[in-house]
Amino acid sequence: MSEAFIAISKDFEMFGSVEREGEIIFDRVGEFDEISEGRSRYAPKEFLMQRNENVLLLKQQEKKAVFGVMSCDLKGFYLMDKQVLGKDPFYTERRKNTLFANFVCNEPCEGGFCTSFGGPVLEEYDVQALRSGEKYHLLVSEKYDKYFRNYEREDGAFFSKFKLEFGSKMEALQVDGVENRITWNSGLWKEFASRCISCGACNFSCPTCYCFDLYDDGDERKREWDSCILSGFTSSSAGNNRKDLDERLRQRFYHKFVYFKKSKDEYLCTGCNRCVEDCPVGIDIKEVINHNYSGE
Amino acid sequence: MSVLTVCPYCGTGCQLIVNDPGTGERVIGYSKSPVNHGKLCIKGYSGLSYNFSRERLKHPLIKKNGEFLRVSWEEALNATSTRLLEIIRKFGPDSVAFQSSAKCTNEENYLMQKIARMIGTNNIDHCARSCHSPTATGLITTLGAGAATGSIKSLEESKTYFVIGSNTTEQHPIIGTAVVSGRKNGKNLVVADPRKVQLAEIASIHLQFNPGTDVALLNSIMFVILEEHLEDVEFIKGRTQGFAEFKKEIEKYAPEITEGITGVKPDAIRETARLIAKGKPTSILYAMGITQHIHGTENVMSISNLALLTGNVGVRGAGIFPLRGQNNVQGSSDMGALSEWYPGYVPVDSPKVGYLEDLWKRVLPRKKGLSLSEMFDAAADGSLKAIYVMGENPLVTEAAISDVERGVDNLDLFIVQDIFMTLTAGMADIVLPASTSLEKEGTFTNTERRIQKVNKVYESPGEARPDWWILNEVGRRVAGMSNYGSPEEIFEEIGRSVPSYSGATYDNIYPIGKQWPINSDYPNGTEILHAKSFPIGRGKFVPVRYGPAAETVSEEYNLIMTTGRNYFHYHSGTMSRRADLLSRESPEPYVEISAEDARLLGIKNSQTVTIESRHGSIETKARITDKVPKGVVFVPFHYDESRVNRLVGKALDPLSKIPEFKVVAVRLLV
Repeated sequence: MSEAFIAISKDFEMFGSVEREGEIIFDRVGEFDEISEGRSRYAPKEFLMQRNENVLLLKQQEKKAVFGVMSCDLKGFYLMDKQVLGKDPFYTERRKNTLFANFVCNEPCEGGFCTSFGGPVLEEYDVQALRSGEKYHLLVSEKYDKYFRNYEREDGAFFSKFKLEFGSKMEALQVDGVENRITWNSGLWKEFASRCISCGACNFSCPTCYCFDLYDDGDERKREWDSCILSGFTSSSAGNNRKDLDERLRQRFYHKFVYFKKSKDEYLCTGCNRCVEDCPVGIDIKEVINHNYSGE
Repeated sequence: MSVLTVCPYCGTGCQLIVNDPGTGERVIGYSKSPVNHGKLCIKGYSGLSYNFSRERLKHPLIKKNGEFLRVSWEEALNATSTRLLEIIRKFGPDSVAFQSSAKCTNEENYLMQKIARMIGTNNIDHCARSCHSPTATGLITTLGAGAATGSIKSLEESKTYFVIGSNTTEQHPIIGTAVVSGRKNGKNLVVADPRKVQLAEIASIHLQFNPGTDVALLNSIMFVILEEHLEDVEFIKGRTQGFAEFKKEIEKYAPEITEGITGVKPDAIRETARLIAKGKPTSILYAMGITQHIHGTENVMSISNLALLTGNVGVRGAGIFPLRGQNNVQGSSDMGALSEWYPGYVPVDSPKVGYLEDLWKRVLPRKKGLSLSEMFDAAADGSLKAIYVMGENPLVTEAAISDVERGVDNLDLFIVQDIFMTLTAGMADIVLPASTSLEKEGTFTNTERRIQKVNKVYESPGEARPDWWILNEVGRRVAGMSNYGSPEEIFEEIGRSVPSYSGATYDNIYPIGKQWPINSDYPNGTEILHAKSFPIGRGKFVPVRYGPAAETVSEEYNLIMTTGRNYFHYHSGTMSRRADLLSRESPEPYVEISAEDARLLGIKNSQTVTIESRHGSIETKARITDKVPKGVVFVPFHYDESRVNRLVGKALDPLSKIPEFKVVAVRLLV
């Protein structure tokens, strides 16, 4: 893919997943070979929503190309699009100017459950790459096709076959209908709350969480990634509507599996398992999907 | 830019990576860290923005006619040294005092104590005095080392956790999660705390005892262990001394007798004793709830007695874990930034000081210096003329604040080195702007003795400089100290001064740190202390007699107030209150009060109330909660607009000189 990488680098600032201090993170890259195919430590959502920024000034956005995004993380942006694209000018400008090249995982990762949400081969993508031996199979969107003129065309058959095989190695969870099975008074929420320390990791690690807080800092108005687990989140003068931690945890899962499904016809989850990995007390979103609510 | 460093908040010492390739910073936990395994709490994720606060100090300042004027570094350093030297010349070295900081690196603490001692005074102390000085005093007496005996990782192997006086999930969240996960996996958990903290909610047993009755509680647990013959006979015989005398004292503490003191039912005590003694290995976690009492050292020795009695020392999954409040309390104490110890806990009157005299080529003072709590009194009575504070805010965090103010007012020279214009810095004659720990290099030693490398993430704003640079400049001028070109040079000298650090280098502690002692016998460090023997040979039982707290309730002051931190803030709030999410979550001072007391006093939620003690009064807002029992109120100390330490008295633990922050008799007025 080096040739396309070089061509893209003429128009874009180049970023990719690279290994630093033993972690795969995102940094500037000069050539394709620097990019790590391993699973990055986090979903690189700061490319579209900075952790903290002044909202009174929208700077001209540079064109950025990000290589080595995991399919599950990229899927998160397509889900976020449904809520914020066209509404949040910062996100929208960056989304327009950012090319994401995602790697489809060859093998299931530990704990991941992307097949439950249609992964790991995505139907929407900029550049989607699947390694096969020494070679990449590529799916390229129309928007970026010009950089791949010299590459073999794929009709997607290889990807479909791969997806089927992958699915047999990572069995999909029974997600369908969870919006009807889940119950408001389930004991899950209190059990989760007894362990949760409100660290915010589930939100910060989630490739689909987009909520932020607004605050004033001198002559700047800033926004910062927020966490719906915190009691100050969306609080009004009377405090938070969801006074107790179990209510806030329930809200997080209802948003993902009930409200978003009902309003956007999608679940707000990609099966990346990052919230589980970063949670210090092992709260597992898969339990919310698998739980036997009617048996409680 | 991508840098691996250590979280600047609590003593857990989580390693984190700050990455910013031009997309705004991203903070992640370091997944290879044996401390936090890639996890962080909200302070790690969302607490670093104080670094960019527009309120950072950017230039040296000197007060003239009551106003701060910007000066050059040269001018500030010269004023600092000339005025210090003049005071020393006129009144002698004991007329100056230094307050070091557990938020600063080992290298910086080492430098500050070295300056004090090369000048000729042991008037060097820091906030460990107000948090874990009883741990150092107590555990050095009983075990020979004032530090956690095990590792955070080894907590996975405990079968029982005994948590006393520690709100672990809020104060050491990542250590707290080890307990939470252990409990979820079926391990026993006993929580002894007057407040219903999160761990109490999931505990096998919650001993909600009366504040200040720790010794009675612990002795009664040990009474049952002996009564039911659950002690570790082999361990007591083979590894300890002083058992017979200790046993004689314990025999007075039948749970039926202590119930009247602690308020805990005998059945709960008996069940606790069985869990701790039978459900081995048992690890004992404690924090300020144990130490911040006039009986703090005795409380610590009681805990040590319990561990020795049940053979819960020196084994993986067992041990004593004093949880350190600040990022480098362990290290700053190891460095000897304490008035009674030289680096490596060498007592100031010990012949071993001679070794340092050779190393530093200076005759060193052998008389105990003033402790933190005593410095301000000495200033008030005029015997102390100058105080140099680094990274501390005693006008918010010390007990009996009006006396602290009186002391500071009476000083000839007050120098404060900080990252912000704190209340304390505002009183200074000279203010020296410092870099944060994310703007410099050095090492921190966490609560499990792990020495970890701190690395520079950001540039310092304006002319702010790393504390080690400032101290190096001051030390050269006032103490004839030789020049240090880098923190690494200082660390090399620390290796020569502190035996337990002797095998550590910047290279070999990278990336995940090593637990001291690190020496030629243990080049990879030591995960579990006291596995075969104690530094003092045998572990020492010390008979501890229960004595009441300094303050008791009366008709007039009918409530017991305890003070402490909350999850979102740290120390005097200078850092955490400048982080958006943290300040939003806990924006203002408050007092936690039970629904029953609130009803009796006619107090509604969020209502402004006055709290009065025998020492002072403050206004704050009421927060009605079931976390505190009837008769007890809790007030956090983070807020400089309503300083709870106005209410705290001056009674000190005679052994460690720690004030009693945890038991203050108060009344609430509407």
